[in-house]
Amino acid sequence: MIDIVTVEVIKGALIYAAEEMGISLRNSSYSPNIKERMDHSCAIFDFNARLIAQAEHIPAHLGSLPYGVKKGIEVYEGELEDGDILLYNDPYVSGTHLPDITLVAPIYFNNKLIGYVANKAHHSDVGGKVPGSMPSDVNELFQEGIIIPPIKFVKKGVVDKEILNLILSNVREPYIRIGDLRAQVAANMLGVRRVKEICSKYGIEKFFEAIDKIIEYSERKLRIEINKMPKGVFEAEDFMEDIGSKDEIAKIKVKITVKEDEIIFDYTGTSKQVDGPINAAYGVAVAGIYYTMLCITNPEIPMNDGFFKPILINIPEGTILNPKKPAPVSGGNTETSQRNVDVLLKAFAQIVPNKVCAACTGSMNNVAFGGVDENGRTWAFYETIAGGYGGRFGIDGVDAIHTHMTNTMNTPIEAIERNYPILFLKYGVRDGSCGAGKYRGGCGVERSWKLLAPTATVSIVSERHKIPPWGLFGGESGKTGEAFIIKTNGEIIKLKSKQTIRMDYGDVFIIKTAGGGGYGKPFDREPELVIKDVENGYITLNQALEEYGVVIKNGKIDYEETRRLRG
Amino acid sequence: MFRVGVDIGGTFTDLVALGESGEIINIKVPTTPKNPSIGVLDSFHRFTKGIDVKDIELIVHATTIATNAILGQVELNLPKTALITTYGFKDIVEIGRQRRAELYNLFFQKPKQLIQRKFRFEVRERIDAFGNIIEPLNINDVYSIIDKIKSEGIEAVAICFLNSYVNPIHELRVKEEVIKNLPNLYVCCSSEVTKEYREYERFSTTIVNVMLMPIVSKYLKNLIDGLREFKISAPFFIMQSSGGMASIDYVSKKPTTIIESGPASGVVASAFYSNILGLRDVISFDMGGTTAKAGSIRKGIIESTSEYEVAGRVHKGRIVKGSGYPIRGSFIDLAECSAGGGTMAWVDEIGALRVGPLSAGAYPGPACYGLGGLEPTVTDANLILGRLNPKFLLGGELQIRMDLAKRAIEERICNKTGLSLIEAAAGIIKIANSEMAKIIRIVSVERGYDPRDFTMIAFGGAGPMHACALAEEINLHSVIIPPNPGLFSALGLVVSDFKYEVIKSIMKNVSFEIVNEVERVFNDLEIEGLNMMPKFFKGDIIVQRYLDMRYVGQSYELIIPIAKPLTNESLMKLIDDFHNKHEETYGYSAREGDVEIVNARVVIIGIVKKPRLKVIEKGEAQYSIDSVIGEREVFFEESNQYINCKVFNREKLKSGNIIDGPAIIEQYDSTIVVYPNWLAEIDNYGNVIMRWKK
Repeated sequence: MIDIVTVEVIKGALIYAAEEMGISLRNSSYSPNIKERMDHSCAIFDFNARLIAQAEHIPAHLGSLPYGVKKGIEVYEGELEDGDILLYNDPYVSGTHLPDITLVAPIYFNNKLIGYVANKAHHSDVGGKVPGSMPSDVNELFQEGIIIPPIKFVKKGVVDKEILNLILSNVREPYIRIGDLRAQVAANMLGVRRVKEICSKYGIEKFFEAIDKIIEYSERKLRIEINKMPKGVFEAEDFMEDIGSKDEIAKIKVKITVKEDEIIFDYTGTSKQVDGPINAAYGVAVAGIYYTMLCITNPEIPMNDGFFKPILINIPEGTILNPKKPAPVSGGNTETSQRNVDVLLKAFAQIVPNKVCAACTGSMNNVAFGGVDENGRTWAFYETIAGGYGGRFGIDGVDAIHTHMTNTMNTPIEAIERNYPILFLKYGVRDGSCGAGKYRGGCGVERSWKLLAPTATVSIVSERHKIPPWGLFGGESGKTGEAFIIKTNGEIIKLKSKQTIRMDYGDVFIIKTAGGGGYGKPFDREPELVIKDVENGYITLNQALEEYGVVIKNGKIDYEETRRLRG
Repeated sequence: MFRVGVDIGGTFTDLVALGESGEIINIKVPTTPKNPSIGVLDSFHRFTKGIDVKDIELIVHATTIATNAILGQVELNLPKTALITTYGFKDIVEIGRQRRAELYNLFFQKPKQLIQRKFRFEVRERIDAFGNIIEPLNINDVYSIIDKIKSEGIEAVAICFLNSYVNPIHELRVKEEVIKNLPNLYVCCSSEVTKEYREYERFSTTIVNVMLMPIVSKYLKNLIDGLREFKISAPFFIMQSSGGMASIDYVSKKPTTIIESGPASGVVASAFYSNILGLRDVISFDMGGTTAKAGSIRKGIIESTSEYEVAGRVHKGRIVKGSGYPIRGSFIDLAECSAGGGTMAWVDEIGALRVGPLSAGAYPGPACYGLGGLEPTVTDANLILGRLNPKFLLGGELQIRMDLAKRAIEERICNKTGLSLIEAAAGIIKIANSEMAKIIRIVSVERGYDPRDFTMIAFGGAGPMHACALAEEINLHSVIIPPNPGLFSALGLVVSDFKYEVIKSIMKNVSFEIVNEVERVFNDLEIEGLNMMPKFFKGDIIVQRYLDMRYVGQSYELIIPIAKPLTNESLMKLIDDFHNKHEETYGYSAREGDVEIVNARVVIIGIVKKPRLKVIEKGEAQYSIDSVIGEREVFFEESNQYINCKVFNREKLKSGNIIDGPAIIEQYDSTIVVYPNWLAEIDNYGNVIMRWKK
C-alpha cells in the first residue's frame, strides 16, 4: 500500500509537470495569442484517458480537454506508438472550436502504454472566411477554417512534413503557425519525459496507486462539498440575442438536481442549434459546468477525473450546447460559454446564494478590424474587451475586467497605434453602467478609436446589447452594451451585437460593454458608498437619487431626506 | 576599515561588518516595524561601541520600507496623490491589463486603486505613436487642474501621457507648471521613470514611484541624521532590486528601484563567491524562517527580469500577473515558496498531509521553541529526525524542547493519519523539499539549463539542512555552504557594485537605415546613466549596451548585448546573435522572419574594490579529533532509518579536512546535514564543499 506522503509528492510532481508543459509551450510559442494571452492548456492522463493533472490556464479548456482526448484516441485504439503525436481541431472531436488545435502523445514506460499527455492552444488563424477565423456571419463549420480530424502529425518522433504543408497552405501567417505548432510538440515531449521520470523514481506500481488516490481525493472532496448543499431541483434560463439573419433569440435552460453526493445537470429545453457561429461544442458546455462547480465549491480541489465523477450531465444532441456537425461553432467558445455560466449561476443562486455573483458582462466582446493601408499593406487586428463583474454577497462587483470563461490580456494602446492605422480616443470605465444593488455590479468598458486608413472592415461578435445582465436578490440589471460608428459627416450608425461593417477614413468606432448586475436591494446600500461612487464618477447624482434613493445636496448626504425617500 | 551592511528582516535587523582581513562582526537587533530606522540606529549604536567610527569605510543598506508602504503598513502613510493624464485615458491605471489574478475565485478583488478616480485628471493633448503632436497641450486645462490639486491638499503628482516614451515634451511642460505653482509637491513624469512603450506598466511604475518618494526620502534622511549623531559620516548607499547599489539622492528620486532590495543581496553574495571560487553556473538557494528563495547565476551573470509586481501574490513560485502593481526596472529574478523552518504542517479534511503555506513565524515559532506554538513545523520535523541539536540552538541561547515537537506532530499529524512519529516527520521534510525543488527548477530547468552544470550555494538558517536532499532531487552534484549561512545575505550588501540602468524604446525593424539613430540613442542613454554615478566615485566604470529584440509579431523580447559603437557590420552580427539566443532560449529560430528592436538599454556599473575573504588555518584531509563534538542518531529518507552520525563543530574544522557523509556539522546560526553518499571538504575560506558520490 502506498503511503500518503508519496501520494502527496507524486500529486505535486504531476501537477508541476503539467504546469511545466504550459510554461514551455508559452515560452517557445511565437504568437502573442499564446505568449501573452495564455490561451492554452496542458494536461496529463492515465491509460484509460482519465485526467490526472491539468495546469491552470484558461477555464474554457477545463473538461473540454479530457473530452477531446478520449474522443481523439478512440480513433487510434491500439495504433499509437511511442513517439507518435496526434493532432486535431475538429470541434466535434476536440470539443471546442477550430482555432484550438489539440496535440496528444502516448506515454510508454518499459514498452507499456501508461498514459497520455495533451495540450491545446488557440491559434490566431486557422484559415476560413476571415483573418482570425472568428467570423460573425457564417452558417457552416466549413466557412470557419481548416477542419483536421485526429491524424498522426508526429510519427515516431518525426513531424510529417506533408501534413504540416497541408495545414500551412490553409492558414494565414504560416510561419507563425510553425512556431506555435513546434512549441506544442515540444511541450508534449517534455510532458512525456517528466511522467517517465516520475515512474522511474517511484516505480510504476506506486505511480498507478498514487493516481487512484489522487483521483479519489478530488472525488471525495467534491462529494463532501455537494453534500453541504441543500437538496432539491433548481431551474434557470437565459437567452442569447441577434442570431442569424433574422436577429433571433436562443434559450439556454438548465435543471440542476442536487442529491446526497452527486449533482445532475439537465439542459432539456435548450434551443435547437442555430444558423450562426454561436453553437457551443459539447466540450465548451461541459467546461462551463466544471468551471462553475469549482468556483462555488472550493477552487483548491485538484482538477482531475475524480472531480468529474459526482457531476452527471445531460445535454440533448442538436441543441446550441451540443450541436451536430456541420453547425458553426467559433463564437460558442466566447459568447455561448459565458451565457451558460450565467444560467448555471442563476440556478446556483437558489442553492448557495452567498457563493455566487450576479450576471457579469456576459460576452467576450470580440472586435476584429483590418483592411489595406495607404501603402497597400494588409493589416488585421483582433481583441476582446472586458466588462463589468456582477455584484457578490458582501462585496461589489469589479469594474472593467474579463469575466468567467476568459481572462486574456488587452494589447497596449501604444503598441496598437504603432502598428495599425488607428488613433485611440478613449479607453475607460463606462460611467453609470453598473447594475445598482446593495453590492453594485462592476461598470463596463468604453473604448473608441478613429480610423486613419482609407477604408477598413470592422466586425463585432458580442452579446448583451438587448438582454441586460441580471441582478440578484433585488439588485438591478447592468446596462446593456452598445456599439456605434460615427461617420465624418456626423451620422451615427448603431451596430448590432453581431455585425460586420465597412468604415472610411476618419470614422470613429465606439464600443461600450455591458455592466454587471447588482446583488441585493439598492436601497440597502450604505449611503456613504453611494456618495463615494458619485464623487468618483462611477454613477451620476441622478442615479444616486433614482436608483439608490440617496439624496445628495451640495456634495453631502441629506440623511433625513434619504431616510424618507427609502421609506 | 570596515564595510558595513544593514539588512532589515521580518524579525531581526542584521548588521554585518566586514573587516579588511576578512573578519566579520555581526550584530542582531529586533526589527522595529513601525519605524525601522530605530532598529538600524540601534544596531549602529551597539556596533560603534566596539570600534572607531572613522574605521567605517562605507555602509550599504537593504530595506523593505518601499514594499511595506505599498502593502499599506500603518505609520507609512502613502501621500494623497493625483494623476494628470491624456484626455480620455484616466482609467488606464484602473483597467490595467483587464485580467483577473484568480481564475476560479468569484470573490476576487483588484488591487486597491492607489489613486482614487476623482483625483485622476485629464488634459487635452495628444502625441501619436511616432512622437508627432496631434493636439497641442491645452495649458488652461493644466491651470485648472493645478487649482484643484491645491484645494484638495494633494501631496504628490504623477504625470502620465500616452506615447510620452517617444516624445516627453507635454509631460515635461506640465511638470514645469506644477513645480512652479506648487513647489513643495513630489512630482514625477512617466518619461522620467522609464522610456519604454506599454502605457499601463509605465504609468503604474510612475504612480508607485511618486507615492514612495516622500516615504523613502524621509526615511533615509532620518537615518542619515541619526548616524550623524553617532558621528558616522561614511558614505551611505542603498541596495537596489537589481543587485547593484545606488546613492541616496538617486533612490530618493527613484524609490521603485529598491522594492526587492533585501532578497537581492543573497544572490549578490552568491555571485561574489562564485567569482572567487571560479564557478560560472550557480544556483543561489536561501531558506529562512518563512520562505525559500532561489535565483540563478549563468556564465557569471545574475539572471534578472525587467518587471515585477509590488504587493503581488506568489503562487507556486511565481508572481501572479494582475495581483499587484507592475513596476518596470531591473530585478534579480527570484522564485519563492512558502517553505521555511517555521512553515506549518497540517492534515486536511480528506486526510492528506500538507505543508504550508502558513508559517508560525518567529513568534510563537516552531513548537520546540516552547513559546506556545502548538502547530508542527519543518523545524520540529528536523529536530525529531536528529538533524538539529536536541538540546539547544544558537550556541545555547535558545533551549529546545523535543517533547513539545513530538507532541505537536503526534497530536496534529499522527492521530489524524495513522502515520508513526518518524513517518510523519520524514513526510513533512519530503513534502517541503518537493516544494522547494520546484522553485529551483523554475530558475534552472524551466530556463532550459541542465542542473548538472550548476553548483548550489545554500544559505539562510535552514538552507544547509536541506541542501543535499534538494540537490539529489534535481540531480545537482555539488553544494557549497559558505562560512556564515545566516549572515550570508547581508554579506551581499558589502560586496556589491554601483549599478544604474537606463532604457529607451526604439520600436523599429532592424535595417542599416536605423544604425545612426540607435547609436545616437545609446550615446544619450550613456550620458544619462553616467550622470547617475555618485560624483566622488573614482573606480572603474563599465558601460554595457543591450538591445531588446524580437521577431515582428511577437510580444516578448530577448535582451542581446551589443558592442560599442553600432555599425553596419556589428548590426549583422547582432541579428545573428539574436537568432542564436532565440534558438538557445526557445529551442528554435525563424531566420526568415523580420527582427524588431524594441528597446535600447544601457547599464552603467561602477566597480567597487572587493574585500578579501578570511583564509582559515590549513589542516590535513583527516580532521582533528577535537573537531568532533559528539555523535547522534540521524534519520535519512533514502535509507529509511536512523544512522549514527558524527557531529562536528564547524569552527574547529581546518581547510583540507574531508568528512564522509552521513555527518552533522554544527555552527552558531546553522546546521549542515551531510547526507549519505556525500563528501564534504573544507576549502581555504572555510566553505564546506559537498559533492555527491553518485
